[in-house]
Amino acid sequence: MPNQNGTVYGLTILSPIIDDEKASPSHDLQIRNYLATLPTGEESPFALAPGTHLARLVVMDDVIYVGAPAIEEHLQSKYLVFESNLDGDLDAYLTGLATSAGQHFDAIWSHCVGYPGVSNSTAFIAYMKACQIETTFFFAAVNNKSVNETLRALQTQRAVADFIADHQGMEPARLQAEFAEFISVLNARPLPKPGSAGEPRAIKTGGRNE
Amino acid sequence: MSKLNETDIQGFVLRGYNMPFARYLFLHFEDSSRARKLIGRLLPIVTTGQHWDSGKPQSTVNIAFTHRGLSALDLPQATLLTFPVEFQQGMKSRAGILGDIGLNAPEHWDRLWHDNRVHAWLGINGQSTAALDARCAEVQAMLDETHGAVQLASQDAAAIMDNGKPTTREHFGYTDGFGNPDYLGVDRSTQPGQGKLMPDGSWGPLATGELLLGYADEAGELPVAPVPHILASNGTFMVYRKMHQNVATFRAYLDEHSPNYSGGKEKLAAKFIGRWRDGTPIELSPDQPDPSIVKDSNRNTDFKYGADLEGTRCPIGAHVRRVHPRDAFGFNGRLIDRRRITRRGLPYGTPAPEGQPASDRDERGIVFMALNASLSRQFEFVQQQWIEYGNDAHQGNDKDALMGNHGGKGKFVVQGDATPANPPFVCSHLPNFVELRGGDYFFLPSITALGMIAMGLVDPR
Repeated sequence: MPNQNGTVYGLTILSPIIDDEKASPSHDLQIRNYLATLPTGEESPFALAPGTHLARLVVMDDVIYVGAPAIEEHLQSKYLVFESNLDGDLDAYLTGLATSAGQHFDAIWSHCVGYPGVSNSTAFIAYMKACQIETTFFFAAVNNKSVNETLRALQTQRAVADFIADHQGMEPARLQAEFAEFISVLNARPLPKPGSAGEPRAIKTGGRNE
Repeated sequence: MSKLNETDIQGFVLRGYNMPFARYLFLHFEDSSRARKLIGRLLPIVTTGQHWDSGKPQSTVNIAFTHRGLSALDLPQATLLTFPVEFQQGMKSRAGILGDIGLNAPEHWDRLWHDNRVHAWLGINGQSTAALDARCAEVQAMLDETHGAVQLASQDAAAIMDNGKPTTREHFGYTDGFGNPDYLGVDRSTQPGQGKLMPDGSWGPLATGELLLGYADEAGELPVAPVPHILASNGTFMVYRKMHQNVATFRAYLDEHSPNYSGGKEKLAAKFIGRWRDGTPIELSPDQPDPSIVKDSNRNTDFKYGADLEGTRCPIGAHVRRVHPRDAFGFNGRLIDRRRITRRGLPYGTPAPEGQPASDRDERGIVFMALNASLSRQFEFVQQQWIEYGNDAHQGNDKDALMGNHGGKGKFVVQGDATPANPPFVCSHLPNFVELRGGDYFFLPSITALGMIAMGLVDPR
């Protein structure tokens, strides 16, 4: 089924970038420049708003001719490509992005043709959906758990691995007592924030993904 | 597939010499014409892959160059630019890709590597220290006579002796040196388990182009190589890595953690790498070492992981299973045929026998050298994905327990079963048992190419 892999929704949005020869730097370069400074980790717009498994923003200048026997083709416009694997309902997801990370979306999409801004939520959702194309096939690393369930599972896995490492060989009665204590502490722990688990890394601005 | 021209290939590429003593000289060229003269003088004594019909020589000489070295030899720009990017950059520039950060970062390497002055590696092996010294004196005389190069440093290496007899053990006590791959056309006594898995489950040789430039590789393509073809053909790329071993830390870790492992200390040590310390593969003999397997070249590398996907015999993250996964990833092993390397090397530093005191500060480790047609596709992939990462083996972020750059935070899962002698176990807070002390990428040319370099005949047109 298009756009859906298990419980995960695959979103693909292509927004045409404003072509204005008087703009300097050009709108596509201004998007690239902004994307390069976008925070990763917990401050990422996709961590601030709920429901994103993975997201990617790409400026696509044109399609590249790779040589014969391919046919040389060109795009009508430069496009901003937004891809996301998300939980649940698309309207609710887009509303969350507008509410929690609106300033980033306005800063990026203000360089796109016809973008209405996040202040009018209905218009924002309608615009994004107008730019959506069908995601015919996509890979979801985890397709049967929500973002929050995945975060909880990773937290549990790490904690249990550490518990095992620290308690190997312990006398059974004490082990059981410590495990009961461990479980109650673990259950009381807050959910880790999205984006908090990975190593901090810089945004790639182009070139080979080495 | 025709027979290789063994007299045109440096012997170091085609065979491990199994000589107990070695000295690696690191040279810097100050003047290209004097340097070329030196290479011309060395040329007749460079050991080729020719058969030793009249017996093994007392010593050997081989030579390889960094990209800076080839530049200092005044190879044409149009040739220098055609070398693969990772070779042009050198190993230090690839630190991020290789995981050579933190304790393994270039600022912790030996002084030799700080200023990017290494232009050439001269590898000299000897059957005895006297033979090694004699050969080194001969080379030194050529250096003195030609003023062709400055010797920046030398690195001695030697097999660890047992009652005066050389062994293949390294400083942690493991028996090393099993299982280099076989290649088409390379005439050597083959062992099952050393090449690639064939559709019928037997082992066959890898394509020559996985080792040597100028021949078809496993994809049926010619490896990326410099122009002209004759410069590249019969040559290969070499990785040189000096790996310091923290023997005290290794022993202390085993002593501290093995009491919690009911399989016992020696089994835990075996689980780290997938072989008992005497070399017995734990996949074949999971409960105890079996000297009869070690001695039998038809058995000591002949095993697969297909019947042990859970890792209860050989852990999924054990060193030998990581760096040569055989059939562990399915598809009858086809996924790994382009990720194989040929290893050379010897321990360096004074051995510290088990039971005798050892300090991490002692100069002690292993000189690791790997030969492959593509540094990025073969060595760098293995180092990045299989040593410093665990995803291919479904081990998450876990690194190779023994070789990984853990920085005190490493984890290694020993899969087990319900029997008391083989319990599951988690090794945590892994320190760096091994630390990188330097190295670089080298081009090991053919005998013809060496002659062309010496005579200034390299012409890309």
